[in-house]
Amino acid sequence: MKNNIIILGGGQAGIYAAREIRQNDTESNIKILGEENLLPYERPPLSKDFLLDKKNEEDLYFHSSDILKNENIDFENILINKVDFEHKKLFSKNEDVYTYDTLLISTGSDNKRLSLNNNLNDDVYYLRNLEEAKIIKEKVSDKNKITIIGGGFIGLEIASSLSQLQKKVTVIEIGNQLMGRIIPKQIADLVQKTHLENGNKIILNKQIDKITKKNGIYEILLSDNSLIQTDFIIAGIGSTPSVKLFENTNLKLDNGIVTNQFCETSIKDVYAAGDVCNFYHPFYERNMRLESYQHAQNHGICAGKNIAGVKTEYNSIPWMWSDQFNLNLQLTGICDDYDEIIERGNDINNGVIYFFLKNKKIRGACGVGIVGKVGRDIRITSKLTEKNTIIDKQILLDQNQKLNKLIQK
Amino acid sequence: MSEENWIEVGSIDSIEEEDLIRFDHQDKTFCVYRLTDGFYATDGICTHEAVHLEDGLVMDDEIECPMHQGIFNIKSGEALSPPACEDLKTYPVKVDNDKIFIKID
Ligand SMILES: Cc1cc2nc3c(=O)[nH]c(=O)nc-3n(C[C@H](O)[C@H](O)[C@H](O)COP(=O)(O)OP(=O)(O)OC[C@H]3O[C@@H](n4cnc5c(N)ncnc54)[C@H](O)[C@@H]3O)c2cc1C
Repeated sequence: MKNNIIILGGGQAGIYAAREIRQNDTESNIKILGEENLLPYERPPLSKDFLLDKKNEEDLYFHSSDILKNENIDFENILINKVDFEHKKLFSKNEDVYTYDTLLISTGSDNKRLSLNNNLNDDVYYLRNLEEAKIIKEKVSDKNKITIIGGGFIGLEIASSLSQLQKKVTVIEIGNQLMGRIIPKQIADLVQKTHLENGNKIILNKQIDKITKKNGIYEILLSDNSLIQTDFIIAGIGSTPSVKLFENTNLKLDNGIVTNQFCETSIKDVYAAGDVCNFYHPFYERNMRLESYQHAQNHGICAGKNIAGVKTEYNSIPWMWSDQFNLNLQLTGICDDYDEIIERGNDINNGVIYFFLKNKKIRGACGVGIVGKVGRDIRITSKLTEKNTIIDKQILLDQNQKLNKLIQK
Repeated sequence: MSEENWIEVGSIDSIEEEDLIRFDHQDKTFCVYRLTDGFYATDGICTHEAVHLEDGLVMDDEIECPMHQGIFNIKSGEALSPPACEDLKTYPVKVDNDKIFIKID
């Protein structure tokens, strides 16, 4: 049957869903509506290789416009600001109307913003999209002292890139460790050490009390009354699912759009995928929200299958990475539900991994090392987690023993 | 092509089955694999970002990059899974007297 399928949000999950639908359904109309006037592109390089000039805009696109044309996938640059689920309609600001039979919501996430008591809100920069990355790149070019508010992934990646551009970087973090939302302290401390060795200043346990501006220089007053002078401020203080549009509708929201294992929302014919979802994960038997490249891709593909009528459960073991200086950090599974931790390795040059086990089975792992050193073991760990079998701990903790042994049938 | 293009990598025992070794020659770097049905060779650096594939995971006929999980078919070099989208170059391999040779052009 020929359907009108609309994908709201032209990011990673949206484009992967579109192409997957087309693989399984050659008839339906597929239209992506995206607020950014760009074809879907990769965000990870924005805080890393794009700032470092190692990647250009052209390197970021997932697929060329030719591919979309060949697969008969329509992309329209438009901001949707009203939805009517009952009549299956979306509206733009100019009251353009889009009618769907099936809708996929893949609106991603929005950066949290500081709210300063004076008129300096516009003086703080954030990074989520290419436009903002270009602005930051251009603005920092003639600045020296840069302050990053927030020691999460994006803040630290920017700190690493700007340090490599010879800037003097200070990171201010409110918590007692870096990347505290999901990374174990042991790993965070190793990453912190690398930042310090590269000349970055890291301030933990401090809140911003006030920011003022004098003669083009900012003064940041911290909760312990210390004062930081800086030329430029970037904040990376976390993100929230982009659900504002749905707040006064029947769509079930709870830290994102609530979906089941088939990417279905609480409303019939409405699906959701990517950063915006709080989805049910059958393997972990709980809901979770992830902001990661691999998840956006796989969740988009899964939604695409289900929309095209190929009923498919989403059971992918989470995986994400971060690159800072010459380090590659990776996380798989979940690291917050365990009764035992096992450490593999203690030298960042060979990679250090912490495994999180429950009832002797692996639930997740987090590792960091010089680029290339933890990837293989983390990948094997994802497979071991999925296998859900009791693990020989002696092999896990001994870096001289290959983990491959544990997956061999 | 002349015989000289075959470069000796090492003995067949230097690679375990379902594994790989790194091989550097002049200013280039390669990966040489031992799969269940024989030996294969590709470029050593991932086409996505400059990371050496020697630390990647070999599973069946595939090599997975240790940095961002791009996957390539070892025999054809085809990029199978993003973020990698550019294929990996492959090289002919022969075994002679228990020694592995690759043909570099
Ligand atoms: C700077 C940065 C670095 C990152 N680095 C890494 C990394 O190293 N590793 C990793 O695993 N992950 C990383 N991520 C996370 C990863 O990029 C995201 O998880 C992924 O992009 C999410 O995909 P998505 O499709 O859900 O949302 P997005 O890619 O954010 O796409 C959502 C799109 O929807 C559009 N939209 C929203 N509302 C509307 C509307 N009302 N009308 C029209 N369009 C709308 C938005 O403009 C946006 O284009 C990074 C993210 C950022 C921002």
